[in-house]
Amino acid sequence: MSSNCTSAAPVSASKTKTKKKHFIGQKVKLFRASEPILSVLMWGVNHTINELSNVPVPVMLMPDDFKAYSKIKVDNHLFNKENLPSRFKFKEYCPMVFRNLRERFCIDDQDYQNSLTRSAPLNSDSQGRFGNRFLSSYDHRFVIKTVSSEDIAEMHNILKKYHQFIVECHGNTLLPQFLGMYRLTVDGVETYMVVTRNVFSHRLTVHRKYDLKGSTVSREASDKEKAKELPTFKDNDFLNEGQKLQIGDDNKKYFLEKLKRDVEVTDTCFVLLFFLICMCFVFYNVVFVCVQFLATLKIMDYSLLVGIHDVDRAEQEEMDVEGGGDEEEYENDGMGGGALTGSFGTPPDSPGNPLNCGGFFGPGEFDPSVDVYAIKSHDSAVKKEVYFMAIIDILTHYDAKKKAAHAAKTVKHGAGAEISTVNPEQYSKRFYEFMSNILS
Amino acid sequence: LRSDQKSVGGGLSRFSIAASIASKTKTKKKHFVAQKVKLFRASDPLLSVLMWGVNHSINELSHVQIPIMLMPDDFKAYSKIKVDNHLFNKENMPSHFKFKEYCPLVFRNLRERFGIDDQDFLNSLTRSAPLNSEAQGRSGARFHTSYDKRYVIKTISSEDVAEMHNILKKYHQFIVECHGNTLLPQFLGMYRLTVDGDETYMIVTRNVFSHRLSVYKKYDLKGSTVAREASDKEKAKELPTYKDNDFINDGQKIYIDGENKKMFLEKLRKDVEFLAQLKLMDYSLLVGIHDVERAEQEEVESEDNEAEEEGESDGGGIGTPPDSPSNTLDSTKPLSPGEFDPAIDVYAIKSNDSAPRKEVYFMAVIDILQHYDAKKKAAHAAKTVKHGAGAEISTVNPEQYSKRFYDFITTILS
Repeated sequence: MSSNCTSAAPVSASKTKTKKKHFIGQKVKLFRASEPILSVLMWGVNHTINELSNVPVPVMLMPDDFKAYSKIKVDNHLFNKENLPSRFKFKEYCPMVFRNLRERFCIDDQDYQNSLTRSAPLNSDSQGRFGNRFLSSYDHRFVIKTVSSEDIAEMHNILKKYHQFIVECHGNTLLPQFLGMYRLTVDGVETYMVVTRNVFSHRLTVHRKYDLKGSTVSREASDKEKAKELPTFKDNDFLNEGQKLQIGDDNKKYFLEKLKRDVEVTDTCFVLLFFLICMCFVFYNVVFVCVQFLATLKIMDYSLLVGIHDVDRAEQEEMDVEGGGDEEEYENDGMGGGALTGSFGTPPDSPGNPLNCGGFFGPGEFDPSVDVYAIKSHDSAVKKEVYFMAIIDILTHYDAKKKAAHAAKTVKHGAGAEISTVNPEQYSKRFYEFMSNILS
Repeated sequence: LRSDQKSVGGGLSRFSIAASIASKTKTKKKHFVAQKVKLFRASDPLLSVLMWGVNHSINELSHVQIPIMLMPDDFKAYSKIKVDNHLFNKENMPSHFKFKEYCPLVFRNLRERFGIDDQDFLNSLTRSAPLNSEAQGRSGARFHTSYDKRYVIKTISSEDVAEMHNILKKYHQFIVECHGNTLLPQFLGMYRLTVDGDETYMIVTRNVFSHRLSVYKKYDLKGSTVAREASDKEKAKELPTYKDNDFINDGQKIYIDGENKKMFLEKLRKDVEFLAQLKLMDYSLLVGIHDVERAEQEEVESEDNEAEEEGESDGGGIGTPPDSPSNTLDSTKPLSPGEFDPAIDVYAIKSNDSAPRKEVYFMAVIDILQHYDAKKKAAHAAKTVKHGAGAEISTVNPEQYSKRFYDFITTILS
């Protein structure tokens, strides 16, 4: 990551510098959180990253690495009761694979650890399919999603091919960046969690959010949803509002570079578009490659998550905040998708994360190595905006869906699910066409 | 070997954990510095688990606030961890093991009172595998030393662990009152390791002897004269443990000046009083003698003979693994022959000026976990299984034992 500053010396460094009989006050990570499960998550990520630091990085991954796990069970008695439960278990799936993926996504393990352990992850308003719970790391760089054991099984099924895809596209993809997968057991209850890179910015607020699938059946935000602070709007809302994503020429060069590295394009329609001076074409290709990958794996029901940052509105909001109260407490933002409500929010006294650049960003500006999904609106766009777009929810397998649909009562599928009549190939095609149409 | 594994045979890391963390956070995107790892590599899975366990326990403690004072619960506490890996990290660690630490906060406090920094303790026990030690305790207990020879790791029985729990509060109180100035063992950590279903109990103490200066003669003294002589088998060892009768028959003397003697005996008096109060007995005074000229001679010889690359085998000279960064407790300037840092070699006493040879003596009390009541029970049993040939069926009680012990030591120091 380009960073202007190095991190502050961590806890252990300050302790090795102490001389005998002269002990510096401790700087501890207490893993303090509002809920035991979050403390266990912090402890677990801290532990697994430390463990990995003692396992040499192999030259390449082996088949066994995709079946591996590490499991740890803690049983304390009258010790360390203040912030952690006395008994808990933590399991990490395929540690070497995810370490490799983090490296390919240019995420340093220490930074990853810091983001998830320096301060407790925050609850997020956003809801996934089936009411999955979302959290974001305190610095909003990572999203932690609670998933089902079926999702874990599906992840294992696709992991090898997913990893291969990431290798081939050099980490340049709109697919979720899977960074870690865990099982936590607290009070005998098992919770599965997957960590991904936040689609939205850790800095720039998202003012409007869409979940687009390219289908029109029941694709509208409910009234209950609209009442939220940052509702998740859907396809019909997008179309009805006449929403546009104006990503003109500016980024063409950047995306053409990505195009070169992408898997070759096979559809003639896109070869034609290639010659148009329209940056969205390049974006199409990345989307195309991704949906093609998903169709190959018979995955469907994924969405394009779209977040829109309104530059002028954000500037206004920041002036309001600076005029008003103090900026100390930012731990509770309540916004979906991990965006901040106001200006920069870091917990008080947090040492500089190397990803918190020393440089200052102007309004609407971002570090593309951190906010990897950000695209600026083109110069002649009506409003100055920044768009965040990526594919989410990729763990529904067609075969699993068919089985569930045949069951008399689909317990897991609630009101939000679509009993779709399409297959993965059709889904991907329809998805792609819809996305092409909404970009200008 | 993989290209990024820098060290072989000792499981060394080139930097402390702090440096490896610091170097990783300084890396830029797509430019990753080769890892510097602690592999916990050892000849025995038990030692790997010990290294892993101490590493884990000290790291855990760094996330627990140091309390202002210890509470009664701290003396009953433990931390337990069970690891079950599948197709992961198999190279140096067993896939399944358990590690339990007894009274973590108490031992952390004790380490602090004995002037031992947790990070240094961690480094000593984890940078390189602990070494087997020829020394044998009572009943054939197994000994290891940390690779830097600052600490001794003794394998003990579950009864010893129970006895430790019984005395721990009073022991801690005693240490508070004497400000860590004692000849009693400095208990620094107590653990239970489970590998392949077998449980091993270990206790870590500060090494009585020096981590630098070699000991060429060693005595275990109790002040009793019954069967207090080294066996022929013992005498055949590289550094035999001689006993009371040998000491007397050899005409061995400890030449220390009046001031040192006074301080030493004062400490000893308080210590044995404490032990008698707790009804502990059968402890010994461990005495090690460093002969300055002899050591100088040995060093000259070893410099001539061996290649100095491998510093890992002990047996006299200064041994630090190649490329190891200096431990913060290593003094920056080299020490001359017979010199020592009293903050590290806490038991060392120089010989006085009128001694025939220039020597350094290391003397402290060891083996304090034998309780009188437990002994009586065992003695009544038809067959005392745990106590082998080396045990004494003593007819004295703890009070008498302490007196006899103290008198004997006083005598040999004159």
